[in-house]
Amino acid sequence: MSDAKPVRTDTLTWKLLPALPFVALIAGWSIYWLIARPPVGTLPPAWAVTEALWQLAADGELLQNTLASLGRLLLGTTVGVVTGVVGGFLVGLNRRAADFLNPLVVFFNAISGIVWLPLMIGWLGIGTALVVFLIWNTVFFLVFQNTVLGVRLVPPVLEQSVETLGGSRLHIILNVTLPGALPYILSGIRSGLGFGWRALIAAELVGATVGLGQMIFRAAEFHRADIIIAGCLVIGLLGVLMDRYLLAPIEKHTIERWGLVTPSRGI
Amino acid sequence: MTMTAVSAPAAAGAPPRRPSPLASGLLGAGKFLAPFAAVVALWWAIKAGFDLPDRILVSPYQVLVTFWNLLSRGVLADYAATSLYQIGVAVVVSAVVGIPLGFAIGSNAYVARALGLFLRFFQGVSGISWLPLAIIWFGFTDTTVQVIVVYTLVVPVIFNTMLGVRAIPPSYALALRSLGAGTFRVVKDVYLPGALPSIVVGLRLGMGYGWRALIAAEMLIRQGGLGDLIFGARTFGQIDRIICGMIAIGVLYVVVDRLIVQPIENLTVARWGVLRK
Amino acid sequence: MDATSPDKIIVEGFQHFFETADGPVQATGLIDLKIPAAEFVTLVGPSGCGKTTLLKAIAGFITPTRGRIVCDGKTVTGPGRDRGVVFQELAILPWRTVRRNIGHGLEIAGVPKAERERTVARLVALTGLKGFEDRYPHELSGGMRQRVAVARTWAADPDIILMDEPFAAVDAMTRLTLQEELASLTFSTRKTVFFITHSVDEAVFLADRVLVMSKRPGRIKASIEVPRRKAGGRDWESFTTDPEMQAICEQVLRLVRDERMDGAARPGETPDPLKEAS
Ligand SMILES: Nc1ncnc2c1ncn2[C@@H]1O[C@H](COP(=O)(O)OP(=O)(O)OP(=O)(O)O)[C@@H](O)[C@H]1O
Ligand SMILES: [Mg+2]
Repeated sequence: MSDAKPVRTDTLTWKLLPALPFVALIAGWSIYWLIARPPVGTLPPAWAVTEALWQLAADGELLQNTLASLGRLLLGTTVGVVTGVVGGFLVGLNRRAADFLNPLVVFFNAISGIVWLPLMIGWLGIGTALVVFLIWNTVFFLVFQNTVLGVRLVPPVLEQSVETLGGSRLHIILNVTLPGALPYILSGIRSGLGFGWRALIAAELVGATVGLGQMIFRAAEFHRADIIIAGCLVIGLLGVLMDRYLLAPIEKHTIERWGLVTPSRGI
Repeated sequence: MTMTAVSAPAAAGAPPRRPSPLASGLLGAGKFLAPFAAVVALWWAIKAGFDLPDRILVSPYQVLVTFWNLLSRGVLADYAATSLYQIGVAVVVSAVVGIPLGFAIGSNAYVARALGLFLRFFQGVSGISWLPLAIIWFGFTDTTVQVIVVYTLVVPVIFNTMLGVRAIPPSYALALRSLGAGTFRVVKDVYLPGALPSIVVGLRLGMGYGWRALIAAEMLIRQGGLGDLIFGARTFGQIDRIICGMIAIGVLYVVVDRLIVQPIENLTVARWGVLRK
Repeated sequence: MDATSPDKIIVEGFQHFFETADGPVQATGLIDLKIPAAEFVTLVGPSGCGKTTLLKAIAGFITPTRGRIVCDGKTVTGPGRDRGVVFQELAILPWRTVRRNIGHGLEIAGVPKAERERTVARLVALTGLKGFEDRYPHELSGGMRQRVAVARTWAADPDIILMDEPFAAVDAMTRLTLQEELASLTFSTRKTVFFITHSVDEAVFLADRVLVMSKRPGRIKASIEVPRRKAGGRDWESFTTDPEMQAICEQVLRLVRDERMDGAARPGETPDPLKEAS
């Protein structure tokens, strides 16, 4: 097991290894397709997916849907982060409020996100308001709970030490509690964005008229598996890109610079 | 930072004055229910204050009546059983597939190198995104739901198993090997117990994600389950049924998570002394 | 309490209990204490006897269960700028550089930047942190971080300095320098210092008066005057060769050691933990 000999990382095999499962998947898919010849609507050949992607990009449909989805994500996440951080501070700094609200948080967290869809369709109708609500509802709880935890875990001695230097309550909250809780807040935002993105796709499947989720759901009606797979590739890629180029750099410039550790997340 | 002043006798170890177990139990229940009472009161006030029609918002009392109806006629049990069965199967399948895979990735650098990017890529495409494709392949059936839920659940299991295995200091295994233990024994005595807390964490997280994916999938597939219950009620504008379904979803999740999964997690985590906040 | 009293810190009938899940825990016995202005008092005693509790009460972080604490004629109700604290745990901010940590108190007080920089530079030199001004705490060694904490408190220039084992994590060489600097600095600036330590040598070396606490719940069981520091400072060389000082050390050591051993326990044995807890 991990008591094995050290691995040589300079070999060609090692360098090409990550490509192996992708190559195997595409090869298996292509061979299956050439032998079994399933209907294109059910399983298109791998090259048809590239074609579909190109087609979608060329006629602007992809851009339109992507922009619609990203706009909703931006709106929902922003509102979720702001409300989550502010609420998290109010509750994290106030034991009594926290004790009172905790049962509610547990319950409403358990039904956060997509579970609200049926009720909210009635109230908000199909469209951006509905999707944004569902994203907000998902992001809020992740950011809120992480903020509360982060605020609580700031060592009291740090706050006390600045108090002895004469720092006011506000000074301490801004200069000690906030940066101290930042690893948790950022981690909450990071997973909030990830789960918000998921909630967005789920919400758009039935709760919107444009957007990437709606695009792939409509494609199912027309048995356009090529569009679905192409859409899924775009969804996955955008999710990874946002995480890597938006949130990872923020962490690098703050908590890593300060030598704090990022609290481990599920995945 | 101020500590509460205590007016107890000066002697150390003086018997602490505490309320009786019954009284503190009642107090606890009251503390737990009070916030919900506040929410219900607010709900009632909104309903009455704006004089909302039932197709917008029903009264809490109406929900109570409907809840009782659904419960006594066994409807709720029926839908809930379907959901619970689905998530149960998904947990078993994910454990059987995910744990060995996680072990392989955690303990073998080549497997980790080969599968890391692949898994990360598919993790980026959430389970629910595959729903349209699964509908084409498997139709509007339970299989479609199952595929989506397992896809969602297995990834956290794999990753957490991997993290658990990686976190075990190599010296544990070396120490056992120097006592003459074989691979099987090292796995059984070091890797399995060492990674167990992390595996349980992975299963718990996975269940949380999987449960949400399940509800979402059930809404669209409409083959039973609590997601079907609330989305079906939507078509007929039965707000009371929707809210009943939401309450059931929330309560079931909290009950399963707090009363079954968390105790297991606490047991393993506490026994192995892994510190987690 | 009249403000002209020579005592800077007065602890009156102090006793503290912590509220825990298993009921109240007594942290200190009955403590009465007077510290005149400009006196350097060190406190030694077995672990867990309540030293930190007493210090935190003087600092204003703990409201005494019984009794009261008076500083400068005013009853302590909370922390304040007049009482600087160096905590037992490391308490500098990881997200501030050395420079900004040391200057933090001055920043809060609104001291202009140029003057702040001057003070920081002086303390950086004094604590041997030159060249590390723009590092973050995690890039320093444990001892260096503790020196930043000490410098931060000095920079704020409080009348009273409360220190809880500040040099425990500092390397032996630096510790000697810091102790000598602390002794002369506090003497020349006439600071009132309350200093907790586990080292008997350190306690005697620094102090005008050494207090010895009994084991938990601790009371002050002895107070030993150390002859006035000549010409302000002390140095380790003369200290270790001074028979008078060595005699005091031995006396304190004996008092501390008595505390560690129950009547029943023989020398060298650790006391029964169950017995100690009851
Ligand atoms: N917040 C707290 N809650 C409950 N008990 C506490 C708390 N803080 C301290 N105690 C208890 O009070 C007693 C005195 O603690 P204190 O920290 O004052 O000891 P100390 O003399 O500073 O010990 P050390 O030399 O190890 O630092 C200890 O027995 C400790 O267990
Ligand atoms: Mg202490």
